[in-house]
Amino acid sequence: MSGVRFLGAGLHTHLGRGVAANLDALERAPPRPVLTPVPLGAGVEHVPSMPMADAPLADFDTRLMRVAVDVAEEAIAAAGLSEAQRRETALFVGTSSLDISVTEAVYKRELAAGLDAHPLTLNSSMGNLGNELRRALRLGGADFTFNTACTASANALLYADAMVRAGYAKTALVLGLEAFNAITALGFQSLDLLARDGMKPFDAGRRGLVLGEGCSALVVGMDDSTGFRLKGGANGCDPYGISAANPDGSTIAGVMADALRAAGTDATALRAIKTHGTASLLNDEAEAAGLLRVFASPPPVSALKPFIGHTFGACGLNELILFCGAVERGFVPGTPGIGASAEELGVTLTQGPTPVEPGAFLLNYFGFGGNNSALVVANA
Amino acid sequence: MREAFIHGCGDYYAAVETDDALADLKPLVKEATGQPVRRVGRFIQLALIGAGRCLAGRTAPHDTAVYFTSGRGDMEVTVEVMESLFRDGEAPKPLHFINTVSNAACFYISKHFGLHGRSTFLCNRYFSFETALQLALFDLASGAVKHALVGSVDIVTPPLEIQRRRLHLAPDTPVAEACHWLLLSTDPAGSRGAVTAATVFGDRAAALDWVRGRGLDSTGSAGQFGDGEAFLRDAGIPAAFDYRSGRAHYDSQSGAAISAFLERGAGALVHVNADPDGRFAVMCARV
Repeated sequence: MSGVRFLGAGLHTHLGRGVAANLDALERAPPRPVLTPVPLGAGVEHVPSMPMADAPLADFDTRLMRVAVDVAEEAIAAAGLSEAQRRETALFVGTSSLDISVTEAVYKRELAAGLDAHPLTLNSSMGNLGNELRRALRLGGADFTFNTACTASANALLYADAMVRAGYAKTALVLGLEAFNAITALGFQSLDLLARDGMKPFDAGRRGLVLGEGCSALVVGMDDSTGFRLKGGANGCDPYGISAANPDGSTIAGVMADALRAAGTDATALRAIKTHGTASLLNDEAEAAGLLRVFASPPPVSALKPFIGHTFGACGLNELILFCGAVERGFVPGTPGIGASAEELGVTLTQGPTPVEPGAFLLNYFGFGGNNSALVVANA
Repeated sequence: MREAFIHGCGDYYAAVETDDALADLKPLVKEATGQPVRRVGRFIQLALIGAGRCLAGRTAPHDTAVYFTSGRGDMEVTVEVMESLFRDGEAPKPLHFINTVSNAACFYISKHFGLHGRSTFLCNRYFSFETALQLALFDLASGAVKHALVGSVDIVTPPLEIQRRRLHLAPDTPVAEACHWLLLSTDPAGSRGAVTAATVFGDRAAALDWVRGRGLDSTGSAGQFGDGEAFLRDAGIPAAFDYRSGRAHYDSQSGAAISAFLERGAGALVHVNADPDGRFAVMCARV
């Protein structure tokens, strides 16, 4: 299978605004999370988080669209799309929380004003965000919004690839979007899945995740240019548990094997692996078990969530752009002191920027609802 | 795009006329799945009812993929979590929070019907069922998938006055809950008909060219959005199939078109929806 080329990218995460700023920060150690205050009743909860840099947590009515349009325009400019090409571009959005940050702001304001307030009266349509983004970006193609938890933007890329290869769109803009909101913050707090001292995937000291925020955009199309392309991918459903993959690693190994098969790539040919690495007790156990089923001797294994937090529905594209950008600069990102020993789960993470040659790479994503995805990308 | 053969339909429709008139779905869930399913709300219940009716007691191949859509998603659980959090000052309950993820319903379908294939929840402002069907047809045509369950669910969350505000409907507009599911396969043996296309066009001219170019001796049907009747008239296709009369409002009415057409008897269907930006979604089927 010969998949779509990555023609231009945009990115805004905790590490910075713009792809270059993010990649510069990847050469350093991961930053520490901050504690974001979230009002709850008469009190305030402090939630470990990694909000987007230079995007204050204010003006929620407009913040989401401003960030998304800026990031998308960065990708469109990098790809050099003309106005005519925009009109033939389809939109694939991957997000977990959609525009709930806007809905929350409206409901809170109406409650505070003593109005007859009810949630979701401004907008309740799940397709509204995609529709508004398509309009704002002047895209003329179809739009699809994927809402499959942490695999959403990875799945969006898989279908963008399928559509473009089949000739139903000349180019596609894939957008990953996850903005800070109280439901997600306090929902994960209620699940006792948040770690104040940062994410430590595959580490004996792992305590859970940090809420990440991020937006990423990728223009894809068919051309003969050099650079990264999607070689293949797979998605499957693991009915073991709604919030945890099968700990024996069988279903995760299955989706990795399916992705490698779809890409026509042998496991031994991979240069490196980007894990999902949520740093939760059960999911890292399942992913490690899956990796050990597929790889007798894994290539360098990296985790990116210590740098940007868990960006949920956007992590598919956020981490793909970070990872591919780092590889283009000649290194696989590393996390000093995190996942340094194989004693816990049998998986060791790269401990600093690790030199790498062009080749094929595997990227893993696993989400609530048993949704598992894996992508194989290549730049050679 | 190759045809996808229809091996089953599963529907539920109920107008909701008063705030306390929601049907008890538990017996229907048990009937559809063969067992009671606890601790799930109406959204997941309707997903299970539709998928169960669609399978009608058959065991679907374990690699059957699920394509699921909704206009508003699980409003019941989202409203509950938001009111609890912002009005009552209480953190979300863990299971409620997990069920705010729309693909939670896909998980329950996969678990109860033993499915491990691709699983996708997707949405679109005006063409929710059409875009879900379009992705399924892609995967079936490419060979990535051999069997697909494609469905939509729309629920009502009383009070009805607020439901109408949420949907931006005029007061007293009748509202309904519904689900519509199709079981599709690349295998024609034993099928009841076929879905022949589901495509979104960027403008009217492109949609008209495509419909005319197919030379269909078809029956037309106008969906709930845009002026589908005028489009069909210009395409030279009589808008003779009306599956929407008498139905109260819900978002994914297009999901009813194909299964209703199957009941009508032999023929070919062209179904058209349009959005305010002039895009057109066309679904075609034959019986």
